[in-house]
Amino acid sequence: MKRGLLLLLVLLGAGGALAQQARRNAAENALTPTRAGAYPILSVPVSHLRPGQPPPPPQVTNPAGDDPQAAQRGMRYFISFNCVGCHAPNGGGGMGPSLSDVKSIYGAEPANLFLSIYQGRPNGMPAWGGSLPESVIWDLVAYVRSIGQKPDGNFGQTISRTPASPQKQQTPAEFVQTANPWAFTEPFGNGKKPDAK
Amino acid sequence: MKLTRWSLLPLVLLSCSARAEDLNKLSQDPAQWVMPARDYSSTRFSPLDQINAGNVAGLQMAWTFSLGETRGQEAAPLVIGDTMYIVSSWPNKVFALDPVTGELKWTYIPHTDRAAQGVACCDVVTRGLAYDDGKIFQVTLDNHVIALDAATGKELWATKTGDINLGETTTAAPLAVKGKVFVGISGGEMGVRGRITALDENTGKIAYVAYGAGPDQDVLIGSDFKPPYDWMKGKDLGVNSWPQGAWKIGGATMWGWFSYDPDLNTLYYGTGNPGPWNAEQRPGDNLWSSTLFARNPENGQAKWAYQFNPHDVWDHDEIQRNVLVDLQIGGANRKVLLHPGRNGYMYVIDRETGKVLSADTYDTVNAYKGVNLETGRIEPNMDLNPSLNRTVQDVCPAPPGAKDWQPTAWSPRTKLLYVPHQHLCMNFKASEASYIAGTPYVGATVDMFAGPGGYRGEFMAWDPVQRKKVWEIHENFPVWSGALVTGGDVAVYATMDRWMKAVDAKSGKVLWSFHLGSGSIGQPVTYRGSDGRQYIAIATGVGGWPGVVANAAVDPRVRNGALGFTGAMQDLPTYTQGGGELVVFALPKSSSAQAAPTQPQPEKR
Repeated sequence: MKRGLLLLLVLLGAGGALAQQARRNAAENALTPTRAGAYPILSVPVSHLRPGQPPPPPQVTNPAGDDPQAAQRGMRYFISFNCVGCHAPNGGGGMGPSLSDVKSIYGAEPANLFLSIYQGRPNGMPAWGGSLPESVIWDLVAYVRSIGQKPDGNFGQTISRTPASPQKQQTPAEFVQTANPWAFTEPFGNGKKPDAK
Repeated sequence: MKLTRWSLLPLVLLSCSARAEDLNKLSQDPAQWVMPARDYSSTRFSPLDQINAGNVAGLQMAWTFSLGETRGQEAAPLVIGDTMYIVSSWPNKVFALDPVTGELKWTYIPHTDRAAQGVACCDVVTRGLAYDDGKIFQVTLDNHVIALDAATGKELWATKTGDINLGETTTAAPLAVKGKVFVGISGGEMGVRGRITALDENTGKIAYVAYGAGPDQDVLIGSDFKPPYDWMKGKDLGVNSWPQGAWKIGGATMWGWFSYDPDLNTLYYGTGNPGPWNAEQRPGDNLWSSTLFARNPENGQAKWAYQFNPHDVWDHDEIQRNVLVDLQIGGANRKVLLHPGRNGYMYVIDRETGKVLSADTYDTVNAYKGVNLETGRIEPNMDLNPSLNRTVQDVCPAPPGAKDWQPTAWSPRTKLLYVPHQHLCMNFKASEASYIAGTPYVGATVDMFAGPGGYRGEFMAWDPVQRKKVWEIHENFPVWSGALVTGGDVAVYATMDRWMKAVDAKSGKVLWSFHLGSGSIGQPVTYRGSDGRQYIAIATGVGGWPGVVANAAVDPRVRNGALGFTGAMQDLPTYTQGGGELVVFALPKSSSAQAAPTQPQPEKR
């Protein structure tokens, strides 16, 4: 882990210290209590079952959300911290679940994603809270949000060979590396070679 | 009691002094199947011939049993005495069943760490159990080795042999030899330090560890070591053939198969790929990754080693089954080892010396240009050499190679090796990998696809003396199951798109097929029940590295998922879902029903 943190420092150094400090001030408050002693992020539910019809939970937005570079930085962290090894390039899934299709068990809201990364999850997601600053986690959240797209707009998803469903695939990552991979698609390949670039 | 038919049974059940020598004898009993490959030579051949090429068309389902898990099921059922044993994918439950009726005798549920699933590279599979001296030995994904009383399922001992926080898991089937249980370690994509561990059968105490890289004293290379080629001679090559310290996180794991020659008292196994996949981070031969080891099982000392893929750049592990047979080659009777390489070459190796006698391609290969039989070195195709951030296209074979873990079968009747394998090529882009303990250490973006001809798998018969393919059956998907061949000249395998097939071992003609509930990546076995009938059993439940797109949360629209295997398998979910069922077949009790086939024929492709 020490090597990972060293790497982080190198990456952060490249980002410009002042801008980084400003981001950090904005971002590293998710786990700071309000003056009233509340932790808003802990009030964001993971379950859709909320007995007793309580008032709506607080909206917790990504403090890095307004920064257009957040997803771009998140993509670099996603690779550097080996998220890519489990969740695959563009979040296609493998050792870890896919992120590209927004089927998250533990919720896809920014606060859900933040806590999943910070705390880890019991089926094999490591807990990164002890290793990564909150600002880095929020950048990862921005990236994960930017690479997800539901398979189609309906309640469910049809899988069939005839007619072909799904109909499209992403342009593979060996040809295009981007924080917005769903902007580049081609016909579904059925295991054949993708279009050569 | 229905025991009278087995001459060996009193030895099994009544003797408490049975040792590995007895296990060797036990493995010769046609009624039983006492280790994953049936015998120490790893033939997966059974002399049973009640089911044969003339009547296999009448094969019917006898009973089934749910393993209760729906990830990839790779374990071979074992049949010892009047009990069948099988282990499920994570959390690795062990079940004891009546081999004739399917009645459940006992279940053992280990408390395998849930988090282990997050560091298992390629589905949460396990490859089977071992047996000796009244004990069943199992490994768990979280690196425990456990001994169970074969009669009752009572836990006798449990020993931890690895750490999931270092990315270590255990998936290879153990093997019992001479009072020791041998286990491997997985995690070649996680920067682990590969090794095998030998444990005392009776106590679970670790006898020794033999590493896949590092100083000679860790690899157990000493005065007995006589490598077949000069370039593998020298002190501490497992350190010096790596950049400083890289051997500590360089893989060279063992997640495949052990074989054992009792006459030569030699244990054989191959090691996995060097890590990371981005080879620019590890200049050198990276010994002893992708290497075949011959060891003395009593002290672990290496007798010889042969590195198939020096400085591997394509994730070409060489952990495959090594089949030990004696062949007439060049007019002489040779003790050889057959090794269908992940690199696409079929090796015939002198198992006394480690010298390569022949190495011929058995699938499309352009990543290499051939194996030099003088030096033993494979020649890489430097035109395709992956350099950092450059995408190389149309490399064959892909990272899982021409063959991965799939166990082969050898028939002493046909003198052919039956090989389930895949037919895949890829695009490959290397990138810088950072080492963080317990996370993937890969550094490559991979995209696999069907090889020339558009098919993705093959079941074929190979003649190692004539050095040629005798027949082949193309399959739509990689054939990720094991193979079985019998005295009835029937060869058996199963497909990821849910077909179980029995073929004529001589001609390759498909004689029987059956549509399973889920695709199968299991290992077919055969045995004779106490009712005198021959049975064939296999686990179904698609998965493994190619199967996660159908049994786990993997998006078929993103080709680089599952370390690049998604690209080649993205339509698998249109054929199958995950499952987990043991399925057992037999001929009908009434012989009249054996005449005509009643099962549908396989669909034409």
